[in-house]
Amino acid sequence: MIRLDAVVKQFDGKRRVVALNDVSVSITRGEMVSIVGPSGSGKSTLLNLIGCLDRPSSGEVSIDGRRLSGLDDDELTRVRRDTIGFVFQFFNLLPTLTALENVALPLHLRGWSRHRARERATELLGVVGLAQRVHHLPEELSGGERQRVAIARALSVYPPVLLGDEPTGNLDSRTGEDILALLTDLHARLGTTIVIVTHDMRVAQSCGRTIAMRDGQVVGDVRR
Amino acid sequence: MILLRLISWPYVRKHAGRALLTVAGIAIGVAVFVAMRAANDAVFGAFTQTVSRLAGATELQVTAGFSGFDEAVLERVQAMPEVAVASPVIEAVGATGLPGQGNVLILGIDMTGDRSLREYDLESGDAAVLDDPLVFLAQPDSLMITAEFARRNGLRTNDRLPLDTVDGRKEFVVRGVLGASGLSGAFGGNLAIMDIYAAQHVFGRGRRFDRIDLALTPGVALDAGRQALQQALGPGFQVQTPSARGQSFESLLRIYRLMLRFSSLFALVIALFMIYNAFATAVTQRRAEIGILRALGATRGQVGLLFVVESAVAGCLGSAVGVALGYALAGGVARLIGTLLEGIQGVGQGQAEVTPTPWLVGVALALGTLTSVLAAALPAREAARVDPIKALQRGRLQVLGAGENRARTLVAAGLGALGAALFVGTTSLPAFYVGYLCLLLAALLLTPWLSVALVRLLRPALVWLRPTEGMLAADSLIGAPRRTSATVSALMLAIALVVGLAGIGRASHGQITEWAESALNPDFFVTGSPTLTGRDYRLPEAMTGELAKVEGVAIVQRMRQPRVAYRNSLVLLMATDVESVGRTARRTVLEGEAADMYRRVAAGEAAIVSENFAAGFGVHAGDVVELAAPTGMLRLPVAGVVREYSDTQGALIVDLALYRKHWHDDTVDLFRVYVSPGAVPEEVRGRILTRFADQRRLFVLSSHQVRAYVGRMADQWFSVTWVQIAVATLVAVLGIASSLTVTIADRRREFGVLQAIGGLRRQVRAAIWMEAATLAVVCLVLGLVLGALHLYFVLQISYRDYPGLRFDYAYPSLVALAVCPVMLAAAVAAAIGPAESAVRGSLVEALEYE
Repeated sequence: MIRLDAVVKQFDGKRRVVALNDVSVSITRGEMVSIVGPSGSGKSTLLNLIGCLDRPSSGEVSIDGRRLSGLDDDELTRVRRDTIGFVFQFFNLLPTLTALENVALPLHLRGWSRHRARERATELLGVVGLAQRVHHLPEELSGGERQRVAIARALSVYPPVLLGDEPTGNLDSRTGEDILALLTDLHARLGTTIVIVTHDMRVAQSCGRTIAMRDGQVVGDVRR
Repeated sequence: MILLRLISWPYVRKHAGRALLTVAGIAIGVAVFVAMRAANDAVFGAFTQTVSRLAGATELQVTAGFSGFDEAVLERVQAMPEVAVASPVIEAVGATGLPGQGNVLILGIDMTGDRSLREYDLESGDAAVLDDPLVFLAQPDSLMITAEFARRNGLRTNDRLPLDTVDGRKEFVVRGVLGASGLSGAFGGNLAIMDIYAAQHVFGRGRRFDRIDLALTPGVALDAGRQALQQALGPGFQVQTPSARGQSFESLLRIYRLMLRFSSLFALVIALFMIYNAFATAVTQRRAEIGILRALGATRGQVGLLFVVESAVAGCLGSAVGVALGYALAGGVARLIGTLLEGIQGVGQGQAEVTPTPWLVGVALALGTLTSVLAAALPAREAARVDPIKALQRGRLQVLGAGENRARTLVAAGLGALGAALFVGTTSLPAFYVGYLCLLLAALLLTPWLSVALVRLLRPALVWLRPTEGMLAADSLIGAPRRTSATVSALMLAIALVVGLAGIGRASHGQITEWAESALNPDFFVTGSPTLTGRDYRLPEAMTGELAKVEGVAIVQRMRQPRVAYRNSLVLLMATDVESVGRTARRTVLEGEAADMYRRVAAGEAAIVSENFAAGFGVHAGDVVELAAPTGMLRLPVAGVVREYSDTQGALIVDLALYRKHWHDDTVDLFRVYVSPGAVPEEVRGRILTRFADQRRLFVLSSHQVRAYVGRMADQWFSVTWVQIAVATLVAVLGIASSLTVTIADRRREFGVLQAIGGLRRQVRAAIWMEAATLAVVCLVLGLVLGALHLYFVLQISYRDYPGLRFDYAYPSLVALAVCPVMLAAAVAAAIGPAESAVRGSLVEALEYE
């Protein structure tokens, strides 16, 4: 499903920083994987490469057997929107749109009709337990509710891959547990491949596989 | 200071483009201010200097408006014990036959007494011309010219110089060339000296002088001398110092000064909005940074001060650039004003030298800095009030700053009601201005609410056009009205100003054209000057009969139109054959009954006043105007008020017989000639020219030529208006460019999210463009509507305040239509750069952007 071969990512600034150094990882369909490691270990960079948000300096990233290196920006965007859903630590909801509109947004971007997009968004908000909050603006929702909206948005086209960058990092522990339960439930029900970057060991341990990183390299890969 | 180095400087370095835009906003405002002021000061400074050079040692000047007076007045003045020297003067603009030279100011003087008043320093020529006045007198073809004039035209002593006289072109002889000092500097050297009696003949003055220049007996105080002369001569004469007389002439140009000042202040107001926008965005953007500062112990005062100091530094820098730019532009503006003045005076002043003055530089720097600080005051206050806890929470930024302000709506309603009440309920001028300001403020306060309402209306159309991008564009504008309110306010004001200026231009041009067609309807105007406003070459009364005898001429109407003093102003006195004019060229009557009005005025019992005279002096039909004629006070009832645009100071129409009786002036400025039915106008014109060939300096202007001239004068008069429109449009374009650059750049994360969840580049790009275009449409709608209101006020101002001209309301639809594509194109063009940067930058960085 997801494959990284000898991936290197370096940032050229005043000092060259090697964020990923010769990383090779393979994630199969339906896995729920956590990536852990200290700050600066390269775990978010790894997630950005998997999510087609960034390109490697060298090496190859493939999703569903499709190599990403030859794709232009728009093709990369199409892969992203058809294959990947994102859940961010800081939700990244558009503040001027309601919960329903935020969830419907990726569908509109795919050219769905207004009616169809709203129908799907309403359904997804129901799935994440926000059926009563569809017309609320992000500022009118709690942190947990915002993250649920973000998850609903990530699932809007039922993508095969869901990526989470510290999805519970900005939430209190109880709300974090709720979100984790939701993700585990969605994984079980929909069979979505989930990759989560986290500092939280409880989140890591609830995943079937944990990849540990340090100094830009994979230093551990545990399956449960 | 340390905060400035640690906090502000890195931010400025990181956002250099934005900082440059802020500084550019101030620089443009200050540059326009400085250019207008410096040019104004240079041109009017040169004018004052010219007045002073021409006056020499003259302490007082005696005039009777611009009508002149009998020679006998000189003897009365000379006989007074308070007067040491009194010398007669004729001052007129003469046309030279020199190629490329154009007009020259001729000073007709009496060499006998004038050398006590003015210094004639001969550079070359026969000194006997000066030493023995009889030499000058005995040779009436003598002229003295300035060194500059001689150099420019390659003339030397005893060379011949062709000059138009009332009897046609004659050859004059250069008897002397004046040195560069004193008198020579006046009018950039475009000056020639002639004997007074020769000047009387050259300009058809008869036995009359234009004025008397005098010096008082030693020991007589200026004021005492002035009072004694005024008492002896009566109210029909003005006894003034040369500078006071210069000022009253300068007051004729007040409208230009007013327009220039208005333009410069307007530029600063727009700059204020641009700076406000930049700082408001900076505060939003640096909220987290401010939160950290507050958490580390910075007080609210320190945070607020940081932004105020930043704005002061930006203001200083922008002002310095603006001052330099302003002085660079001032030369061009001075040339424009110089051309306008030349049109009015008939002779060029020469190139006015623009030199930086410490006063203007100081004022500009202070004003620019103050404007900047003022514009940043609100954002600084906002910064000081940032809650450190909320500001430190990432993501909370998105929820701050949105939402409507109910208090704003209430204040706007209150101000609107007060403005309307002041405007409708009182005739007081200050109350009118306060009312106008209140309504303007109400409109500004309502801008966010109105913008949202408009975008809501536009949303379906946008969604229909491009469902996703349209929705994103509309919702972004609906959800964050405060983000764009400063931009919309600034552009709305700029567009309103464009509409106001264009409206008054259109209305005045239309009405002046209409007036020209009805009032200036003779087939020909026969004059001694090439224009109707030139009054230097007068024609003799005897020409009336001679013209009437020309085959094909049906009617000849005489017109003499000097400026006369009325309540400390110089107004135009139009003395004509009223009975005949009343039959042939009826003006639009605003007060009074036409037939009765013309009958009474023709009988010498009353006067007609122009609309701007009536408004300017508060005179209405039935009132009595008191005119100071050389024979004494003349009390004339006002028989009617008519639409008449001959003069910006106002005009009075009286019968020619009445004028002659009280002013003892039998000269004529122009003849209005109508041809007989069936006669071919061009043939009649040819006969007139043939009849007076070699006898008179004569211009036979067709009504078409005169109307074209009036049109050109009106266009020239409003050329400043077009410059203002150009400045307003330019500022509007720059405003939308700067605002969009700032606001789009500030939403990098939002656009990053859009791309992260599947938005293609073209979709994000289109959403940004549509948002920019929608913003422009909102600005246009609000600006064009506010412009309609603003135009109404501008027309009221011109009527109630200055120059008292009433123009009918006519919305400048063409200009409004022309502004639309300009603003839309500017908005979309301004959005291209930021949109590209938004879609092409690193997605990861965009998502982390705070």
